[in-house]
Amino acid sequence: MSSKDLGSQLAAIKGAKIVKSFCYTCPWQCPTEVFVRDDKIVYQKGNPESPNNIGSRCAKGMASWYVSRDPDRLKYPMLRSNAKGKDPDFKRVSWDDAFNYVADKLKFIAGKWGPEAVVFTCHHDPNTVFYRHLLGDLYGSPNNYTHTSGCEQDRRSACLTLFGHVFPMHDFANSRYVMLWGMNMLGANQGLWESRALMDAKAKGCRLVVVDPSFTETAQKADEWVPIRPGTDGAMALAMCRVIIDERLHDESFVNACCEGFQGFAEHLRSKDYSPAWASNITGIAADRIVRLAREFAKSKPAMSAIFKGSGYYTNGADAGRACFLLNVLTGQVDKPGNLHLKDWAPIGAPVVIPEEAKGKPGKPPLHLAMGYPLAPDLPNSRLPDAVLKGEPYPVKGLFVQSTNPVMSDPNRDRVIEMMRHLELGVALEIYLSETALECDIVLPETSFHEQAEIRQGMWLGPEIILCQPVVSPVGEAKPPYEIAQGIARKMGWGQYFDYERWEDWGERMLAGGPITLDELKRKGFWAGEVKYDRVPKGLPTPSGKIEIYSKAYADAGLSAYPVYTERSVIPDREYPLQLTHSKLSMHCNIVTQNNPYLMEVCGENWVEINSSDAAKYGISDGEPVIVESPKDKIVIKAKVVEGLVPGCISVRHGHGFGHWAMGSNAKGHGAHSNNLMETHTSPITGANCYNECKVRVRPAPAS
Amino acid sequence: MQHGFYFDHKRCVKCHACEIACKTWNEVEIGPRWREVVKIETGTFPDVKAMNVSMACMHCGDAPCQSACPVRAITKRAEDGIVLVDQNKCIGCGFCAWACPFNAPQLSATAGKMEKCNFCQTPGKERPHGMPRACEEICPTGAILSGPMTELARIGRENAATRLGGADMRGMPALMIDAHRQFGPDGDE
Repeated sequence: MSSKDLGSQLAAIKGAKIVKSFCYTCPWQCPTEVFVRDDKIVYQKGNPESPNNIGSRCAKGMASWYVSRDPDRLKYPMLRSNAKGKDPDFKRVSWDDAFNYVADKLKFIAGKWGPEAVVFTCHHDPNTVFYRHLLGDLYGSPNNYTHTSGCEQDRRSACLTLFGHVFPMHDFANSRYVMLWGMNMLGANQGLWESRALMDAKAKGCRLVVVDPSFTETAQKADEWVPIRPGTDGAMALAMCRVIIDERLHDESFVNACCEGFQGFAEHLRSKDYSPAWASNITGIAADRIVRLAREFAKSKPAMSAIFKGSGYYTNGADAGRACFLLNVLTGQVDKPGNLHLKDWAPIGAPVVIPEEAKGKPGKPPLHLAMGYPLAPDLPNSRLPDAVLKGEPYPVKGLFVQSTNPVMSDPNRDRVIEMMRHLELGVALEIYLSETALECDIVLPETSFHEQAEIRQGMWLGPEIILCQPVVSPVGEAKPPYEIAQGIARKMGWGQYFDYERWEDWGERMLAGGPITLDELKRKGFWAGEVKYDRVPKGLPTPSGKIEIYSKAYADAGLSAYPVYTERSVIPDREYPLQLTHSKLSMHCNIVTQNNPYLMEVCGENWVEINSSDAAKYGISDGEPVIVESPKDKIVIKAKVVEGLVPGCISVRHGHGFGHWAMGSNAKGHGAHSNNLMETHTSPITGANCYNECKVRVRPAPAS
Repeated sequence: MQHGFYFDHKRCVKCHACEIACKTWNEVEIGPRWREVVKIETGTFPDVKAMNVSMACMHCGDAPCQSACPVRAITKRAEDGIVLVDQNKCIGCGFCAWACPFNAPQLSATAGKMEKCNFCQTPGKERPHGMPRACEEICPTGAILSGPMTELARIGRENAATRLGGADMRGMPALMIDAHRQFGPDGDE
C-alpha cells in the first residue's frame, strides 16, 4: 500500500475527514494530516507527501490533540484586579474592554517614554508577524524579538557571522561522518526527517561522533562518544583546527577562494598555542584522541560538524560555536551534499501592507544594540530586567509575552518575577494561565494551533511553504493572533491596515505571486522547492561575500576577529564541587507540554543525573530525592545514578520545563524548576542566557 | 499464519511516539500502557552502552496469559495468532498479568478489566493486515515493523546480512563460519 493512500483508509476507519495542516507544538512544524470528526481531533499523522516528516510524528505532536480540548485552557480575556506582588486576582472582561485597555496603555507609554519602551517577545513566532506589524511598524517600537537567547542564540550568531545564514539545516542523509557537539538531536527528536536521515545514513555506514559531557540518546547511537568536560568544546575544536592546518589536511583551494582570513587564522592558532596537548588539559580528552578525530574528520567526505544549544549554555559559547563550524570550513565541507546546508527560503509575502507614511518612528535603537550586543541575533533576555528595573540602557515599561513564559524559562527566576511586577503593562498572549501570565496585567486567550491558520517557512532542506488550518472550533472566546492584533489596531486607529475578514484574505495576500495558490496549499498542506547545493562559490550574504573565518563584525565590535578560547564564568570549588548542566527530553517541548496527561504519563517529572562515582561520594542513591543547592537557591529533585555522565557535573533533564506552579492541573507540582539555581549570566558576545554557568552541591533529601 | 512485530533497537531513539500513537488510535485511557519504551544501560564510565526497547504484547505462540485466565477471556485468534482479551468475559482478577513475563496485560482502573496490545484490533477501529499498526506507522526512525512472522524473519535476516557486509560490523573479523552445517543438529558433514 502506498503511504499516500494510508491516510484516507485510516480516516475511513475512524469515520473522520482529513485536513492538511502542520503541528507547532515545537518549532520544527511538521506538516500533518489531522483527522477530524464532530469538531474533534481523533487522530493525527504526518503528511506523507511532505519531505519533512516522512509520514511520522513525535510523541508531543501525536498527543497535541489534547490541547484543543484541555479544560484548563484560558477561555476569555482576564484583567488583573489586585495589586502586583499579591496572589493574583483576575476578573473576566469582554474583548472590547480588553482591546481598549491595551490600546490606552500603549498610548500612555508612547506619550511618556516613547514606543521603544514596549517590548514584544514570543516562543516560535507563529503568526507573530501580525503583532510585529502592529507594535513594530505602526506603533514604532524597534523591540520585536523572539526567544532565541534561551535557545540557539550562539549557533545563530556563529552561522550569521561565518555564512550570513540564520539557520542552516543538516543534510545528514548524504553524510559519511557527522560530529555533533553538545547536540542531542535524537533525544529532543524535533526535526523528524533529520532523525530518520541520520539513522538511515548510519545504516549506510556514516560514522557518528558525539562530543558531550552526557551520554545522551544521540551519544547512545554514536560510533564514538567523547565525554568532554562541560563548557570546553571551543578548546577541543580549536585544537582540531590546528591539527588540520598543521598537517595540511585542509582544502587549500576552498579556503583560498571562498574564505576570508585563512592565513591569519593559521597564525592565530599557532600564536595562541592552541595545541592538542593544551586542549587535553582543558577538556579531559587525550591529545592523541583529539589528533585522531581531527584527521578522521578531515579525511572523511562528506562530513559535518554541528552544534545546537549545548555549547552555548556557557559565557564562552559564541566562539566555541564558531570553532566547531570552522572544522567544516577548513575542510571545504559547507553546503555540499552531506554538509551543513545553507537552505533557501521560500517566497512568502507580508499578510498586511503598512504604507511608509503610516509607520511609527522609534526614538531609540533596538535594545540589543543599546545594551551593547551588536552581534546578538535576538534580545539578550537576561538583560531585560535591567531595562525594566533600572532603566538601563533605557526604560522598558510594557512587555508582550506571546506563547513564552520567561518566569519559567529565563535564568534567575526571582529577578524575572521582580521585573514582571514593575511593568506598567504586562500582556500575556497565551493558551494557559502560565507562571508569567500570573504576573501580567492582562491575559488575552489565544487559540491553539489547531484552531487557527498560519502560513510560514518549512524547516526542511529546500525552500518550503507550509500551511496550518483551523481544524476545530476555538475554546471559549479564544481568538487567533491575527484577530487579536486586528482588535488592538482598531482601537489604536489603525484598523484600515488590518483589513481582512477571513484568514483566507491575508493568506492569499501572503502567497500572491508565489509558487502555489492558497486553494492548492489547502489541499496539499505544503509546497516544497528544489534542494540546491554549492552556494558558497557563488557568494554569501556576509560583508565580504565569503565565509568569514576573519570576522569583520567581531573586529568592529572590539572582539577577537578569530575565535578564541576563554574559560567559562562559573567553576566548581570545594564548597560547590559540581557543575550544573541541562539536557532535553523527547516527550516534552520546553515549558509548553506539561499539562498534557498523555505526555505526563510517559514522563511526569524531571530528574537529575549524577555519575556513580559522584553519587558514592555524596551518598546519593538511585531514585531517591536529593537536594541540589547552589550559592543562590536549592531544589529537591529525584536522582538518577548513571554511568553516562562526566564526573564532576550533574545533568538536570528538562530543567525549566517542570515544577510548574500554574499552567494547569496536570502540570502543577510535578518535578523541580531549576532556573533559580543560577545567577544571571549573559554571553558577552551574543547575549545568550548561560544556563550552565552554575556550581552546585548535592546531598540526600531528608525523608519528609 | 502468525503475525507479530519486528523491532530494530539500533533505530529506536526512545522518543515514545509509538506509545502515544497506540493510545490515540485505540482510544486507550490514561493508566494502562499497551506499549512502553524502556532503556537499558550497561557498562561503566566512559565505556557505556544503552539499548532502547519498545515493548508490547508479544502475542506468544504458547501464551501464558491464556493458560492463566480462569474464565477463558483470553484467546489466540486462529487466522493470525493475535492474542485478544474478551472484555465481556474478563473479571479483572489479574492472573494473566502475573503469568505474563513481559508485563503486557494492563488493568484499567475505570473498567476493572485487563487490556493490552491487540495488534490494532480494537472493535470499530480494526486495522486490516497489510496496513501498518499505529506504532509502526508513526515511528520517526522506522524501528517497528509488523506483519506475518515469516516475512519479518526474512527482513531480519536481510538486516543481519547487511550488517555483516556493512559498516555496523567494522572491526569484526572478516570470517563467517557456517555454524549450522558444521555444528548443527546433524553434526559434521
